[in-house]
Amino acid sequence: MNFATKAFMIFLPCVLLIYHSLPTRRLKFTFLLLASWGFYASWNPWYLWVILFTTTVDYTAGRLIAVARTPAGKRGWLVASLLANLGLLAYFKYTLFAVQNGIWLAEMLGYSATAPDWALRIILPLGISFHTFQGISYTIDVYRGKLPAVRSYRDFALFVAFFPQLVAGPIVRASEFLPQLVQPPRVSAAQVQAGLQLCIYGLFKKVFIADRLGQDFVDVVFADPAGFAPATHALAMLAYMAQIYCDFSGYSDLAVGCAKFFGFEIPRNFNFPYLATSITDFWRRWHITLSSWLRDYLYISLGGNRTGTLRTYANLVVTMTACGLWHGASWGYVLWGVYNGLLLSAHRVWDRFAQGRAWVEAVRAHPLYRGLAWAATMWLVATGLVLVRTQDLATAWVFESALLGLGPATPGAAVWLPVWVWAMVGLVAVEHGLGGTHQPGWALQTWPSVVRAAVCGAAVVLLVVLGPWVSRPFIYFQF
Amino acid sequence: MTEAGCDGSRPASRSNLYGFVAWLLLGLLGVDALVWATRECWRQHSPDDYRERLHSCRQRPRDLICLGGSPVSEGIDPLWLVGVTLPDGSRCVSPFNLGLPGGTTSEFWHALRHGASSPPKLIVYGITASDLNDRRQEPHGAYSLMDWDDLASWVWARPESAEYITRHFVAARLGQAWQLFRYRDGIRMALAEWAERACPGCCPAAAEQSRLNRDYAARLRRGDGFAPNAGFRHRRYDQFKAAGGVVTNFGFLDGYRLTGGHSGYLHRILDYAQQHDTAVVLLDMPVTEDLERRYPQAFEQYRSLLAALVQQRGVTLLCGHRDAVGLGDAHFADLIHLNQDGADRLSAWLRDQLQALGQRSQTR
Repeated sequence: MNFATKAFMIFLPCVLLIYHSLPTRRLKFTFLLLASWGFYASWNPWYLWVILFTTTVDYTAGRLIAVARTPAGKRGWLVASLLANLGLLAYFKYTLFAVQNGIWLAEMLGYSATAPDWALRIILPLGISFHTFQGISYTIDVYRGKLPAVRSYRDFALFVAFFPQLVAGPIVRASEFLPQLVQPPRVSAAQVQAGLQLCIYGLFKKVFIADRLGQDFVDVVFADPAGFAPATHALAMLAYMAQIYCDFSGYSDLAVGCAKFFGFEIPRNFNFPYLATSITDFWRRWHITLSSWLRDYLYISLGGNRTGTLRTYANLVVTMTACGLWHGASWGYVLWGVYNGLLLSAHRVWDRFAQGRAWVEAVRAHPLYRGLAWAATMWLVATGLVLVRTQDLATAWVFESALLGLGPATPGAAVWLPVWVWAMVGLVAVEHGLGGTHQPGWALQTWPSVVRAAVCGAAVVLLVVLGPWVSRPFIYFQF
Repeated sequence: MTEAGCDGSRPASRSNLYGFVAWLLLGLLGVDALVWATRECWRQHSPDDYRERLHSCRQRPRDLICLGGSPVSEGIDPLWLVGVTLPDGSRCVSPFNLGLPGGTTSEFWHALRHGASSPPKLIVYGITASDLNDRRQEPHGAYSLMDWDDLASWVWARPESAEYITRHFVAARLGQAWQLFRYRDGIRMALAEWAERACPGCCPAAAEQSRLNRDYAARLRRGDGFAPNAGFRHRRYDQFKAAGGVVTNFGFLDGYRLTGGHSGYLHRILDYAQQHDTAVVLLDMPVTEDLERRYPQAFEQYRSLLAALVQQRGVTLLCGHRDAVGLGDAHFADLIHLNQDGADRLSAWLRDQLQALGQRSQTR
């Protein structure tokens, strides 16, 4: 069930109504859990076993880790949990990729092979990349002694399956969510207001900006790059950056907003990423819950920056390659992960060099440097996105050369630079400008209620009048 | 505009919190009131053709109403029927084409029920096989024609499609309560036209569509309900075929079955006519040879049903077969819709047939 559908518009109020009319914590959470499983099953009831299986395994592993007397025993249960989660993820997400690469390798060696039917029939269960990561974080935290094992299966299952964040995050940590289950959450007026605002903004970003840009411009240009001039390619890249941001952050806003209606707070996932002035800064602002998950559970587990300079860079590349693979089973995503790992390493080298050198610090603080650093960061981010959006390297180069200003002028290629695309990209810029610059009085939330209501009202009007009739699936659902 | 704004905010007072929701609701209500006050403009830019036809038909008493689907709305020009002798001996002065594109017999019954301000003297139902195909369920009637009575009657009589029709009916009622949502298409079209005027080249296709919609709205309000699709008027099926064009299927006849759902409403039309002393003529509408060849069983079942109906109810059936009317592929725009030339021929033929029927009933 997509958030931006009529079915969800009916589902959410019904669940809210029943949830808030139930008298006790136990009944509320049991109902919410059943509703969340129902939400999951609405996509494909046959795959409900996946979430039930991982939930049961992680819950049991957590309990057994807590009662194990020896470190080896604890480690054994942790490994069992990791194998179950990563095994399922690997089977559903990477089997076909592995088979295709096996075929490719066999053909290189002169053998002929075809993909077996069972591999072609594998369907990626909804949100598996997200809920398995949540389960893993829980068992690792229990193993590390940062979190006591949860006693109630229902509470743990609700943490895994809570429907607002089930299919595309944010990746909530047990330490953030489980403490909220101790007392029945009371919804405050502030939460209702913030939730309403977030839901309106989320829908606006998803349906009005992301869907419109995707459907009416980005897809058209990417489908036939040869038909358009370099200036159009460059604008399409800019539009794609706006589209993917609005699509995913729109979903996150909706998830956070819906959670507030139930009285829960879940972490934010974006912090105005297109204001980043370095690639490190960008990854602190983009898909924050995934970046921090990878940092805490992979990068640090690999040794982080405590194992020597070269090993630190290797850890960064490995972590970001895993990040790429998490996003999709294809060489494009692997390449994108390696690319980001190398960029983070390069930035770390530059950072280490600058540390303690007063003149470098002075240069870095200069507005001109910051402007150039921002432009360079955006160009690097766009270059990375080209790798995942295009199907092959030749097409990627067409867009990349446009970004570099090297695009050859093809005779007959159309220069298509619609005003409305600029306006949509402009809206994203305004959003970043108002919310992300932290200037006193700029943040929308600090404005008088009548102005905020007017902005929300305008968003609703634009959404209804100019939004596409049918919303497209969220891009991050495929991950 | 992300959650960041909500988290880093100063604590808001209770009145400020409720103020936001109150202002938002007030603002949306204000917008709705404005849209409602200017609805005439939005209706012109994106007319709800079923509602417009009904509205037009109700403007004055009609002595002849032509019912049917798009073959009727495209193929019968009521101007040709003015002056024809009606069964009671009077001359027809206000014929109306109540053809509903995309409709089934169920929709035609609802249109007659709500569109006729007084019972007409003659109903000509230009029937065709697709009107009765019970595999078809169309949502337009639920949106634009039916009232609560119609819904209850449908749910009672046709439980197999009760969920479908109730869902669409409720969605329509909710949508119509929110004026902004109801007229969103018209507002969008009007905005496109204004934007194109202010900034030429920014949305030419949408602006052109808006202009066509306004033309269509004006034709719908012309008075006799005849508002043929501009795209069909000069198109010729023979030329389409000569250019190598092939129509692979006609979805309205796919999976053809007659289970009594739509034909039940045909009986309601006949019952209505009987109660109000209105004469009914069923006109078996002409279709292309290609369509009949493609769906032979559907047409066989349909014509058997018509024959049984004539026998049971004694209704007058005019066979408007293409050979009888003198129509060929050149007179069709596609498999089933007549072009301007074809519509003129059929209308003239129908006038002669009705005239003959009228005179015959006088001599009796």
